[in-house]
Amino acid sequence: MAEARKSMIKIKPKKYKVGDTVKVDFIVIHPMDTGLQKDKKTGEIKPAHYIDNITFSFDGTPFTTMKVWETVSTNPYFSVNYKVTGKGKITVDYTDNTGEKNSKSKKLKPKG
Amino acid sequence: MKRRNFIKSMMAVSAVAATPMTLMAKEEAKAKKKGPNDLDYTAAVAAITSGKEAKDSDKVKLTVPEIAENGAVVPVKVEVDHPMEEANYVKAIHVLSTKNGNVRCVDVMLTPANAKGYFATRIKLSSTQEVVALVALSDGTFMKAGKSVKVTIGGCG
Repeated sequence: MAEARKSMIKIKPKKYKVGDTVKVDFIVIHPMDTGLQKDKKTGEIKPAHYIDNITFSFDGTPFTTMKVWETVSTNPYFSVNYKVTGKGKITVDYTDNTGEKNSKSKKLKPKG
Repeated sequence: MKRRNFIKSMMAVSAVAATPMTLMAKEEAKAKKKGPNDLDYTAAVAAITSGKEAKDSDKVKLTVPEIAENGAVVPVKVEVDHPMEEANYVKAIHVLSTKNGNVRCVDVMLTPANAKGYFATRIKLSSTQEVVALVALSDGTFMKAGKSVKVTIGGCG
């Protein structure tokens, strides 16, 4: 927990029932530097800094893992599907190549 | 005389010990420089499929813009028309580009809990090239779909 990053989990659609398939969107504010770009102010090359591993889990059981490289855009967005099985919590853990670890979670509240 | 010999032998031993060390260090540096990230497209595909052939398939639906004005943000959507059951499901979706400095973008490992082979993200493209979605199924076969994207302004550095 070096620094807390702004991130967001969105469940689409907003209303869902048990058994529905929902979209889980995850957005995080991250520079995703490739290690090729120059800093405009100092003229020095910015070191590579990107997210490399993401794990989506529901109540502690991972259902999707991702390996990410620097070719993903700044402030990355990832979207996967998930079948709602009941009440619980979706957690997204992500680490970057500098060893920074963060996580974000959101409660799933199916209606009906 | 003894002492001279002794010193000579010591020097010889140290020289022998030193050469492989430096060589090894050099090789290591080379390997580091190349890294797992600097594969070209065919090598990257071979690394994923481990030599198996990936066939073009209609089941993989790849949605990318035909012309991307800004190469730094290119939306990519992959949908796979395949059942997601315990025995037969989409194991992984790999998003690759053909000409980027690092051709690999994202490897997504899915499970039956996902209920649908779907993935969306935004990637960077350095120039006009093809974006490829390589899909691995749980039975060990591979499918792929590619589409070329025209990039007006490159987005990689």
